[in-house]
Amino acid sequence: MQQSAVEAVIRGLKRAGVTLVCYLPDSLFKELYPALDADPDIRTIQVTNEGEGAAICGGVFLSGQRAALVMENSGLRASVEPLARMGLGAGIPVVMLMSYRGDMGENNWWAVPHGTTMEPVLKALRIPYVVEREEERIEQAIVDAYELAYSSYYHTAVALSGSFVR
Amino acid sequence: MKRFDCMSKLAARLSDELVILSLGASVDEWYNAAPHMREASLFQQQLGCVTPQAFGLACGLPERQIVSLDTDGGLLFNLGILATLGNEQPKNLFVVVWDNEQYQSIGGPKTHTASGRVDLAGIARASGIDHAYTATTLEEFDAHCEAGLKSDTPYVVVAKVAGTVQPEIKRKHSDGREDKYIFVRHVEKTEGITIMGPSEHN
Repeated sequence: MQQSAVEAVIRGLKRAGVTLVCYLPDSLFKELYPALDADPDIRTIQVTNEGEGAAICGGVFLSGQRAALVMENSGLRASVEPLARMGLGAGIPVVMLMSYRGDMGENNWWAVPHGTTMEPVLKALRIPYVVEREEERIEQAIVDAYELAYSSYYHTAVALSGSFVR
Repeated sequence: MKRFDCMSKLAARLSDELVILSLGASVDEWYNAAPHMREASLFQQQLGCVTPQAFGLACGLPERQIVSLDTDGGLLFNLGILATLGNEQPKNLFVVVWDNEQYQSIGGPKTHTASGRVDLAGIARASGIDHAYTATTLEEFDAHCEAGLKSDTPYVVVAKVAGTVQPEIKRKHSDGREDKYIFVRHVEKTEGITIMGPSEHN
Protein backbone atom coordinates (compact mmCIF):
# COMPACT_ATOMS: atom_id res chain seq x y z
CA MET A 1 0.00 0.00 0.00
CA GLN A 2 1.38 3.38 -0.96
CA GLN A 3 2.32 5.78 1.82
CA SER A 4 0.07 8.51 0.47
CA ALA A 5 -2.89 6.10 0.60
CA VAL A 6 -2.01 5.13 4.17
CA GLU A 7 -2.10 8.80 5.08
CA ALA A 8 -5.42 9.29 3.32
CA VAL A 9 -6.97 6.43 5.30
CA ILE A 10 -5.76 7.86 8.59
CA ARG A 11 -6.98 11.36 7.65
CA GLY A 12 -10.39 9.88 6.86
CA LEU A 13 -10.59 7.93 10.11
CA LYS A 14 -9.64 11.01 12.13
CA ARG A 15 -12.12 13.25 10.33
CA ALA A 16 -14.78 10.64 11.10
CA GLY A 17 -13.86 10.77 14.79
CA VAL A 18 -12.42 7.27 15.05
CA THR A 19 -10.41 6.62 18.21
CA LEU A 20 -10.04 2.83 18.07
CA VAL A 21 -9.24 0.39 15.28
CA CYS A 22 -9.58 -3.39 15.47
CA TYR A 23 -7.63 -5.26 12.85
CA LEU A 24 -6.40 -8.61 11.67
CA PRO A 25 -3.35 -7.86 9.52
CA ASP A 26 -3.34 -8.65 5.82
CA SER A 27 -0.93 -8.24 2.96
CA LEU A 28 -2.45 -5.44 0.87
CA PHE A 29 -2.80 -3.11 3.86
CA LYS A 30 0.59 -4.19 5.25
CA GLU A 31 1.89 -0.63 5.57
CA LEU A 32 -1.34 0.64 7.12
CA TYR A 33 -1.21 -1.40 10.32
CA PRO A 34 2.10 -0.12 11.74
CA ALA A 35 1.05 3.41 10.81
CA LEU A 36 -2.14 2.98 12.81
CA ASP A 37 -0.18 1.44 15.68
CA ALA A 38 2.13 4.44 15.71
CA ASP A 39 -0.61 7.07 15.61
CA PRO A 40 -1.04 8.64 19.05
CA ASP A 41 -4.71 9.50 18.46
CA ILE A 42 -5.85 6.00 17.56
CA ARG A 43 -5.79 2.93 19.78
CA THR A 44 -5.27 -0.29 17.87
CA ILE A 45 -6.36 -3.74 18.97
CA GLN A 46 -5.15 -6.75 17.06
CA VAL A 47 -7.76 -9.49 17.16
CA THR A 48 -7.71 -13.22 16.54
CA ASN A 49 -10.47 -13.20 13.95
CA GLU A 50 -12.52 -10.53 12.26
CA GLY A 51 -15.79 -11.58 13.91
CA GLU A 52 -14.20 -10.86 17.28
CA GLY A 53 -13.13 -7.49 15.91
CA ALA A 54 -16.68 -6.74 14.78
CA ALA A 55 -18.00 -7.51 18.26
CA ILE A 56 -15.37 -5.32 19.92
CA CYS A 57 -16.28 -2.49 17.54
CA GLY A 58 -19.93 -2.98 18.51
CA GLY A 59 -18.98 -2.57 22.15
CA VAL A 60 -17.05 0.58 21.34
CA PHE A 61 -20.15 1.98 19.63
CA LEU A 62 -22.10 1.44 22.87
CA SER A 63 -19.50 3.50 24.72
CA GLY A 64 -19.99 6.55 22.53
CA GLN A 65 -16.59 6.33 20.88
CA ARG A 66 -16.06 5.46 17.22
CA ALA A 67 -14.29 2.34 16.01
CA ALA A 68 -13.26 0.86 12.68
CA LEU A 69 -12.77 -2.75 11.65
CA VAL A 70 -9.83 -2.95 9.24
CA MET A 71 -9.18 -6.21 7.39
CA GLU A 72 -8.85 -8.11 4.16
CA ASN A 73 -12.21 -8.72 2.47
CA SER A 74 -11.98 -12.41 3.42
CA GLY A 75 -12.57 -11.14 6.95
CA LEU A 76 -16.04 -10.12 5.94
CA ARG A 77 -16.92 -13.80 5.62
CA ALA A 78 -15.53 -14.48 9.10
CA SER A 79 -17.65 -11.61 10.47
CA VAL A 80 -21.01 -12.42 8.93
CA GLU A 81 -22.69 -13.93 11.98
CA PRO A 82 -21.80 -11.20 14.50
CA LEU A 83 -22.55 -8.54 11.88
CA ALA A 84 -25.97 -10.04 11.19
CA ARG A 85 -26.82 -10.35 14.85
CA MET A 86 -25.61 -6.90 15.87
CA GLY A 87 -26.78 -5.04 12.77
CA LEU A 88 -30.03 -6.73 11.83
CA GLY A 89 -30.93 -7.84 15.35
CA ALA A 90 -30.04 -4.83 17.45
CA GLY A 91 -29.07 -1.89 15.25
CA ILE A 92 -25.48 -1.76 16.48
CA PRO A 93 -23.33 -0.49 13.59
CA VAL A 94 -19.81 -1.48 12.58
CA VAL A 95 -17.89 0.46 9.94
CA MET A 96 -15.49 -1.68 7.93
CA LEU A 97 -12.48 -0.78 5.84
CA MET A 98 -11.27 -3.72 3.80
CA SER A 99 -8.72 -4.50 1.16
CA TYR A 100 -10.29 -5.85 -2.00
CA ARG A 101 -8.58 -9.10 -2.88
CA GLY A 102 -9.86 -10.82 -5.98
CA ASP A 103 -10.53 -7.62 -7.90
CA MET A 104 -9.27 -7.05 -11.44
CA GLY A 105 -5.51 -7.41 -11.31
CA GLU A 106 -5.53 -10.17 -8.69
CA ASN A 107 -2.40 -12.29 -9.04
CA ASN A 108 -3.06 -15.04 -6.47
CA TRP A 109 -5.42 -17.95 -7.08
CA TRP A 110 -6.39 -18.23 -3.42
CA ALA A 111 -7.56 -14.63 -3.33
CA VAL A 112 -9.95 -14.96 -6.25
CA PRO A 113 -12.81 -16.31 -4.06
CA HIS A 114 -12.50 -13.22 -1.84
CA GLY A 115 -13.52 -11.16 -4.83
CA THR A 116 -16.20 -13.64 -5.84
CA THR A 117 -17.93 -13.44 -2.48
CA MET A 118 -17.37 -9.90 -1.18
CA GLU A 119 -20.10 -7.98 -2.94
CA PRO A 120 -22.74 -10.76 -2.76
CA VAL A 121 -22.09 -11.08 1.01
CA LEU A 122 -22.37 -7.31 1.49
CA LYS A 123 -25.58 -7.32 -0.51
CA ALA A 124 -26.98 -10.30 1.40
CA LEU A 125 -26.46 -8.37 4.63
CA ARG A 126 -27.80 -5.19 2.94
CA ILE A 127 -24.65 -3.33 3.91
CA PRO A 128 -24.13 -0.13 1.91
CA TYR A 129 -20.60 -0.04 0.48
CA VAL A 130 -18.30 1.66 -1.96
CA VAL A 131 -15.29 0.31 -3.81
CA GLU A 132 -12.64 2.99 -4.17
CA ARG A 133 -9.90 2.63 -6.76
CA GLU A 134 -8.80 6.28 -6.81
CA GLU A 135 -6.63 7.50 -3.98
CA GLU A 136 -8.12 10.99 -3.86
CA ARG A 137 -11.51 9.51 -2.96
CA ILE A 138 -10.39 7.48 0.06
CA GLU A 139 -10.65 10.13 2.76
CA GLN A 140 -14.14 11.31 1.89
CA ALA A 141 -15.39 7.76 1.36
CA ILE A 142 -14.44 6.92 4.95
CA VAL A 143 -16.10 10.05 6.32
CA ASP A 144 -19.25 9.30 4.30
CA ALA A 145 -19.32 5.71 5.57
CA TYR A 146 -19.51 6.99 9.15
CA GLU A 147 -22.17 9.55 8.30
CA LEU A 148 -24.45 6.88 6.92
CA ALA A 149 -23.66 4.32 9.63
CA TYR A 150 -24.59 6.84 12.32
CA SER A 151 -27.78 7.88 10.52
CA SER A 152 -28.94 4.33 9.80
CA TYR A 153 -27.41 2.66 12.86
CA TYR A 154 -26.33 -0.03 10.50
CA HIS A 155 -23.03 -1.23 9.09
CA THR A 156 -21.26 0.39 6.15
CA ALA A 157 -18.14 -0.67 4.30
CA VAL A 158 -15.37 0.83 2.21
CA ALA A 159 -13.34 -1.54 0.04
CA LEU A 160 -10.02 -0.30 -1.34
CA SER A 161 -8.61 -1.61 -4.59
CA GLY A 162 -6.58 -0.38 -7.52
CA SER A 163 -2.94 0.47 -7.87
CA PHE A 164 -2.49 2.21 -4.51
CA VAL A 165 -2.97 -1.04 -2.57
CA ARG A 166 -0.94 -3.29 -4.88
CA MET B 1 -24.33 -24.31 42.69
CA LYS B 2 -27.25 -22.52 41.08
CA ARG B 3 -26.65 -19.73 38.58
CA PHE B 4 -29.51 -17.68 40.00
CA ASP B 5 -27.97 -17.74 43.46
CA CYS B 6 -24.63 -16.63 42.01
CA MET B 7 -26.38 -13.84 40.13
CA SER B 8 -28.02 -12.67 43.34
CA LYS B 9 -24.61 -12.49 45.02
CA LEU B 10 -23.09 -10.56 42.13
CA ALA B 11 -26.09 -8.26 41.83
CA ALA B 12 -25.74 -7.21 45.45
CA ARG B 13 -22.27 -5.89 44.63
CA LEU B 14 -23.28 -3.84 41.57
CA SER B 15 -24.52 -0.27 41.32
CA ASP B 16 -23.04 1.84 38.53
CA GLU B 17 -21.32 -0.90 36.50
CA LEU B 18 -22.37 -1.83 32.96
CA VAL B 19 -23.14 -5.45 32.09
CA ILE B 20 -23.08 -7.33 28.78
CA LEU B 21 -24.67 -10.75 29.01
CA SER B 22 -25.31 -13.86 27.03
CA LEU B 23 -28.48 -15.20 25.50
CA GLY B 24 -30.86 -17.84 26.83
CA ALA B 25 -32.52 -18.36 30.16
CA SER B 26 -29.71 -16.54 31.93
CA VAL B 27 -31.07 -13.28 30.51
CA ASP B 28 -34.35 -13.58 32.34
CA GLU B 29 -32.61 -14.88 35.43
CA TRP B 30 -30.33 -11.86 35.42
CA TYR B 31 -33.13 -9.35 35.03
CA ASN B 32 -34.91 -11.02 37.96
CA ALA B 33 -31.80 -11.32 40.12
CA ALA B 34 -30.65 -7.75 39.37
CA PRO B 35 -33.71 -5.59 38.65
CA HIS B 36 -31.75 -2.48 39.62
CA MET B 37 -29.33 -3.23 36.76
CA ARG B 38 -32.02 -3.59 34.06
CA GLU B 39 -31.10 -0.45 32.12
CA ALA B 40 -27.39 -1.04 32.67
CA SER B 41 -27.46 -4.54 31.20
CA LEU B 42 -27.49 -5.52 27.53
CA PHE B 43 -27.88 -9.05 26.33
CA GLN B 44 -26.20 -10.22 23.13
CA GLN B 45 -27.66 -13.01 21.08
CA GLN B 46 -24.52 -14.29 19.39
CA LEU B 47 -22.19 -16.93 20.78
CA GLY B 48 -18.67 -15.56 20.95
CA CYS B 49 -19.72 -11.90 21.05
CA VAL B 50 -20.39 -11.23 24.72
CA THR B 51 -16.90 -10.79 26.11
CA PRO B 52 -15.57 -9.07 22.95
CA GLN B 53 -18.39 -6.57 23.13
CA ALA B 54 -17.86 -6.03 26.86
CA PHE B 55 -14.17 -5.48 26.10
CA GLY B 56 -15.03 -2.89 23.44
CA LEU B 57 -17.22 -1.11 25.96
CA ALA B 58 -14.40 -1.26 28.51
CA CYS B 59 -12.02 0.31 25.98
CA GLY B 60 -14.45 3.12 25.24
CA LEU B 61 -15.26 3.81 28.89
CA PRO B 62 -11.97 3.22 30.71
CA GLU B 63 -13.20 4.80 33.95
CA ARG B 64 -16.28 2.56 34.16
CA GLN B 65 -16.30 -0.98 35.52
CA ILE B 66 -17.65 -3.40 32.90
CA VAL B 67 -18.96 -6.88 33.63
CA SER B 68 -19.26 -9.63 31.03
CA LEU B 69 -21.66 -12.47 31.82
CA ASP B 70 -20.52 -15.04 29.30
CA THR B 71 -21.14 -18.78 29.06
CA ASP B 72 -19.18 -21.94 28.36
CA GLY B 73 -20.78 -22.27 24.93
CA GLY B 74 -20.20 -18.61 24.16
CA LEU B 75 -16.58 -18.52 25.25
CA LEU B 76 -15.77 -21.77 23.45
CA PHE B 77 -17.12 -20.18 20.27
CA ASN B 78 -14.30 -17.62 20.32
CA LEU B 79 -11.49 -18.60 22.68
CA GLY B 80 -9.36 -16.06 20.86
CA ILE B 81 -10.83 -13.25 22.93
CA LEU B 82 -8.92 -14.64 25.92
CA ALA B 83 -5.65 -14.12 24.05
CA THR B 84 -6.75 -10.63 23.07
CA LEU B 85 -7.53 -9.81 26.71
CA GLY B 86 -4.24 -11.39 27.78
CA ASN B 87 -2.38 -9.02 25.51
CA GLU B 88 -4.49 -5.92 26.06
CA GLN B 89 -4.85 -6.25 29.86
CA PRO B 90 -7.96 -4.06 30.33
CA LYS B 91 -8.12 -2.55 33.81
CA ASN B 92 -11.90 -2.45 34.07
CA LEU B 93 -13.25 -5.77 32.83
CA PHE B 94 -14.61 -8.54 35.04
CA VAL B 95 -15.64 -11.68 33.16
CA VAL B 96 -18.01 -14.25 34.62
CA VAL B 97 -18.46 -17.48 32.69
CA TRP B 98 -21.58 -19.44 33.58
CA ASP B 99 -20.35 -22.96 32.88
CA ASN B 100 -23.31 -25.33 33.00
CA GLU B 101 -21.61 -27.72 30.54
CA GLN B 102 -24.51 -27.48 28.12
CA TYR B 103 -26.25 -25.46 25.43
CA GLN B 104 -29.16 -24.80 27.72
CA SER B 105 -31.26 -22.56 25.51
CA ILE B 106 -31.76 -25.29 22.91
CA GLY B 107 -32.56 -28.02 25.41
CA GLY B 108 -29.28 -28.99 26.97
CA PRO B 109 -26.91 -30.77 24.57
CA LYS B 110 -23.46 -30.91 26.16
CA THR B 111 -20.64 -28.49 25.48
CA HIS B 112 -16.96 -29.43 25.45
CA THR B 113 -16.62 -28.64 29.16
CA ALA B 114 -18.92 -31.55 30.03
CA SER B 115 -16.10 -34.04 29.43
CA GLY B 116 -14.24 -32.72 32.44
CA ARG B 117 -11.08 -32.39 30.36
CA VAL B 118 -11.55 -28.81 29.15
CA ASP B 119 -10.66 -26.16 31.72
CA LEU B 120 -11.75 -22.68 30.65
CA ALA B 121 -9.99 -20.93 33.53
CA GLY B 122 -6.81 -22.83 32.64
CA ILE B 123 -7.12 -21.71 29.03
CA ALA B 124 -7.59 -18.13 30.23
CA ARG B 125 -4.48 -18.31 32.43
CA ALA B 126 -2.46 -19.78 29.60
CA SER B 127 -3.68 -16.90 27.44
CA GLY B 128 -2.10 -14.33 29.73
CA ILE B 129 -4.98 -13.62 32.11
CA ASP B 130 -3.26 -14.19 35.43
CA HIS B 131 -6.43 -13.87 37.48
CA ALA B 132 -8.60 -16.67 36.11
CA TYR B 133 -10.30 -19.05 38.50
CA THR B 134 -12.94 -21.73 38.75
CA ALA B 135 -15.62 -21.40 41.43
CA THR B 136 -17.64 -24.39 42.60
CA THR B 137 -19.27 -22.95 45.72
CA LEU B 138 -21.31 -19.82 46.29
CA GLU B 139 -18.79 -18.55 48.83
CA GLU B 140 -15.92 -18.93 46.35
CA PHE B 141 -17.93 -17.21 43.64
CA ASP B 142 -18.82 -14.29 45.87
CA ALA B 143 -15.20 -13.85 46.92
CA HIS B 144 -14.16 -13.76 43.26
CA CYS B 145 -16.83 -11.15 42.55
CA GLU B 146 -15.44 -8.96 45.29
CA ALA B 147 -11.88 -9.34 43.99
CA GLY B 148 -12.78 -9.19 40.31
CA LEU B 149 -14.74 -5.97 40.56
CA LYS B 150 -11.77 -4.28 42.24
CA SER B 151 -9.06 -5.76 40.05
CA ASP B 152 -7.03 -3.49 37.78
CA THR B 153 -6.12 -6.38 35.50
CA PRO B 154 -8.59 -8.62 33.64
CA TYR B 155 -10.26 -11.10 35.96
CA VAL B 156 -12.12 -14.21 34.90
CA VAL B 157 -14.20 -16.48 37.11
CA VAL B 158 -15.68 -19.65 35.66
CA ALA B 159 -18.72 -20.54 37.75
CA LYS B 160 -19.56 -24.23 37.57
CA VAL B 161 -23.34 -24.08 37.81
CA ALA B 162 -26.18 -26.57 37.53
CA GLY B 163 -28.09 -26.81 34.28
CA THR B 164 -31.32 -25.73 35.89
CA VAL B 165 -33.32 -22.56 35.40
CA GLN B 166 -34.82 -20.68 38.31
CA PRO B 167 -38.55 -21.45 38.31
CA GLU B 168 -41.22 -18.77 37.95
CA ILE B 169 -38.98 -16.01 36.74
CA LYS B 170 -40.53 -13.21 34.72
CA ARG B 171 -39.68 -13.20 31.01
CA LYS B 172 -38.55 -9.98 29.41
CA HIS B 173 -40.70 -8.73 26.54
CA SER B 174 -38.20 -6.53 24.72
CA ASP B 175 -36.24 -7.42 21.59
CA GLY B 176 -32.61 -6.68 20.78
CA ARG B 177 -33.39 -3.31 19.27
CA GLU B 178 -35.39 -2.04 22.24
CA ASP B 179 -32.75 -3.41 24.61
CA LYS B 180 -30.07 -1.48 22.75
CA TYR B 181 -31.97 1.80 23.04
CA ILE B 182 -32.58 1.25 26.75
CA PHE B 183 -28.90 0.52 27.31
CA VAL B 184 -27.58 3.36 25.15
CA ARG B 185 -29.87 5.93 26.83
CA HIS B 186 -28.66 4.68 30.21
CA VAL B 187 -25.01 5.06 29.19
CA GLU B 188 -25.73 8.53 27.80
CA LYS B 189 -27.47 9.60 31.00
CA THR B 190 -24.91 8.22 33.41
CA GLU B 191 -21.85 9.29 31.41
CA GLY B 192 -23.23 12.65 30.30
CA ILE B 193 -22.48 11.87 26.66
CA THR B 194 -24.36 11.55 23.38
CA ILE B 195 -24.21 8.24 21.53
CA MET B 196 -27.31 8.37 19.36
CA GLY B 197 -27.91 12.07 18.86
CA PRO B 198 -30.32 14.19 16.84
CA SER B 199 -30.41 14.29 13.04
CA GLU B 200 -29.21 17.32 11.12
CA HIS B 201 -31.76 19.92 9.96
CA ASN B 202 -31.18 19.91 6.24
